[in-house]
Amino acid sequence: MKGKLEPSERERLVEEGKSLKESLVSMEEDLVKLKDELQHVAQSIPNMTHPDVPVGGEDSSAIRKEVGCPREFHFQIKDHLQLGKDLDLIDFDSAAEVSGSKFFYLKNEAVLLEMALLNWTLSQVMKKGYTPLTTPEIVRSSIVEKCGFQPRGDNTQVYSIDGTDQCLIGTAEIPLGGIHMDSILLESALPLKYIAFSHCFRTEAGAAGAATKGLYRVHQFSKAEMFVICRPEDSEFFHHELIQIEEDLFTSLGLHFKTLDMATADLGAPAYRKFDIEAWMPGFGRFGEISSASNCTDYQSRRLGIRYRPSEPLQTGPKKGKANLPATKFVHTLNATACAVPRMMVCLLENNQQEDGSVVIPEPLRPFMGGIELIKPKLK
Amino acid sequence: MSLHKLRLAAAVPVTISTFSSRLFLKPFPNTLTLGLFSRRLQPRKPLLVRAFSASAAVQDIPATQTSESSARPQWKASIDFKWIRDNKEAVEINIKNRNSNANLDAVLELYENMLNLQKEVERLREERNNVAKKMKGKLESSERERLVEEGKNLKESLVTLEEDLVKLKDELQHVAQSIPNMTHPDVPVGGEDSSAIRKEVGCPREFNFPIKDHLQLGKDLDLIDFDSAAEVSGSKFFYLKNEAVLLEMALLNWTLSQVMKKGYTPLTTPEIVRSSIVEKCGFQPRGDNTQVYSIDGTDQCLIGTAEIPLGGIHMDSILLESALPLKYIAFSHCFRTEAGAAGAATKGLYRVHQFSKAEMFVICRPEDSEFFHHELIQIEEDLFTSLGLHFKTLDMATADLGAPAYRKFDIEAWMPGFGRFGEISSASNCTDYQSRRLGIRYRPSEPLQTGPKKGKANLPATKFVHTLNATACAVPRMMVCLLENYQQEDGSVVIPEPLRPFMGGIELIKPKLK
Repeated sequence: MKGKLEPSERERLVEEGKSLKESLVSMEEDLVKLKDELQHVAQSIPNMTHPDVPVGGEDSSAIRKEVGCPREFHFQIKDHLQLGKDLDLIDFDSAAEVSGSKFFYLKNEAVLLEMALLNWTLSQVMKKGYTPLTTPEIVRSSIVEKCGFQPRGDNTQVYSIDGTDQCLIGTAEIPLGGIHMDSILLESALPLKYIAFSHCFRTEAGAAGAATKGLYRVHQFSKAEMFVICRPEDSEFFHHELIQIEEDLFTSLGLHFKTLDMATADLGAPAYRKFDIEAWMPGFGRFGEISSASNCTDYQSRRLGIRYRPSEPLQTGPKKGKANLPATKFVHTLNATACAVPRMMVCLLENNQQEDGSVVIPEPLRPFMGGIELIKPKLK
Repeated sequence: MSLHKLRLAAAVPVTISTFSSRLFLKPFPNTLTLGLFSRRLQPRKPLLVRAFSASAAVQDIPATQTSESSARPQWKASIDFKWIRDNKEAVEINIKNRNSNANLDAVLELYENMLNLQKEVERLREERNNVAKKMKGKLESSERERLVEEGKNLKESLVTLEEDLVKLKDELQHVAQSIPNMTHPDVPVGGEDSSAIRKEVGCPREFNFPIKDHLQLGKDLDLIDFDSAAEVSGSKFFYLKNEAVLLEMALLNWTLSQVMKKGYTPLTTPEIVRSSIVEKCGFQPRGDNTQVYSIDGTDQCLIGTAEIPLGGIHMDSILLESALPLKYIAFSHCFRTEAGAAGAATKGLYRVHQFSKAEMFVICRPEDSEFFHHELIQIEEDLFTSLGLHFKTLDMATADLGAPAYRKFDIEAWMPGFGRFGEISSASNCTDYQSRRLGIRYRPSEPLQTGPKKGKANLPATKFVHTLNATACAVPRMMVCLLENYQQEDGSVVIPEPLRPFMGGIELIKPKLK
């Protein structure tokens, strides 16, 4: 229509232009809706799976390693709830009045033990080059979703704050994933390795039965979490580094445990591969999960928008323009539990109890508890 | 109040909603700009109280006023109405001095009405008993009929009056709960500027170089990240990194060990509690400008201080006198909306939504609370002196006391980056304000038993305990003080000696090579 035209030709073109414009507007709207629908449905597609992961349900998980053996007791043992009562360490009853079930107060040496566990874990993991952090425990719900959790809906594990779009975190993995969201990192900055402390809050909706006793399943707990951001080619290496760190920590504390390669039906949507550690809990008479280490490859980074720009090899041309920069890639993210305090406390109390009702403190923790070697029954 | 009028009111409930202007609360001045812990000031929204004119005994509560009835606490405080009535001048003066929005006149009137109604109810009950007694004897049929009729009328009136009595008692509770605690005679009367300085320790450090505030130090030393937190969570949230994490843990560990030496029992507490507990401690979980985060779909809230779950431990209990005093030091994370706090006093770590705090809590006999108030402030002063801080201890004036506090000592420390003092701790003696709401009593030990039988009649009557609370360490404010006061010209920060053993011996936070 920019050229010279007969008026009838011009009119025809104007009409054609108008029809095209109307069709375009409709179709562009439809395209947006279709893209939204595609996103919505596609977001449920889980991550791919490592070829070595066993296919199947819970019973198909493979044992990668087993450390120690169940301690033999020559006396009647107590579970951690009984020990907690007798040694005045844990109060569930007052908490039930004040807050509800699955809440608790720690008292006396149990407070020192929690702090010793966190302090010792921090110092051990820092030695491996992990940066210590504390994190917000209230986050926007969109961050929770981008990490692969479901904040809304029945049976959600997530507490929401009234009147806001904010939630309480169930794990520090969430605010850790959020730190670098919508960013492009330099390859030279990778890997980023963090160890973060936070309190964690979980509704535990839908969890019922025997696996909820005492400290085993609670609504609020302290946890030290490791988080790694790395290049795709390095994630397998760091998955093994993380599980090694966990195994070293629990071995130092004298626990009897097995490391499992979780089967396909037991992986969360974000995990490409997941190693869980289950420790022997004599009071329960079975193994209980004390940690989990997941390689999420690019599942979380594609949602959180965490990319990196590979370093360039020698520049050939004189000009450094955007056209010469390598294309960004998505990083891989991994997360692993360094210390989930209540589960650790179950293990330590139940495994280290003595006939006289006292509990022995594992050696590595003693310097972090002012040298205390024993939790003794208190005189009443 | 004539009985005839009462009966009339009972038979024909009358809805009266007159609002006299004196019952509307004038918004009181916002004195929160610096106060970290003064969130227990009276509610900021106007409290609507229906006027009770002399001719109406009881007001029917309209069904439409559900918002107000749902805002009513569903529990009763053991308020000593008789004492309030017998000391009404002192109570009125106290309310004025504290700028409280409590309505004493309404309370007294409701109390009077309640007593009268109660008498009437008792009188009717007695009459009904008399009728019942008469009906046991031999009677003429017409006489029996008459008595049956009378008995029926009495029963109907009683039911109505008893309902009215319940409503009246609820209304009385609701209005009386806003009456603040009485005040220690030595407390200065007035606003912020009237607070008295009890003690001053140290002096502002002289710097020979341009100093940075804690935000700049936090950036330069890679210790604090507000920017990422703003994306992830919102403003007033932060990540601590590197040595700052070690410093937080050292502060908490060291504080714990110091305070345990004074006989305090360490605790960790739930950070989600039922909202009724929050109210019983003297806070306002619902309503505009509340400091309290509520959980969606439940009656639960996040705590703003460990004082709340600590108060809850012994609620609805009778303690033995021999168990007192109970002294706790508790760690928790604290969550505050900080709604209504604006202006310069919100920079960086000074005002945040989430922080770690070590809180001391004491439950004791009434005669001992003054002693423990002094013990608590002494512990705080010793802690902050050991850390080398420059600070002043203030005896807070009446308008700055929260409703629960009989007396409150605040400590303000010098923050060179701000160029002014900022509150780092608060120690309150709440006497029996909280215990009357939480239902914490003790049974005094008995002297030598005279009679052979130990029966309930011989046990001394229970009394309400006194409760006190005091901040041992509020981590972000302490971090502001330590970073800003201990900075050096080369950009590093010196760690105070007492904390070094708790940080693996680190003496200095040095700038990192980039």
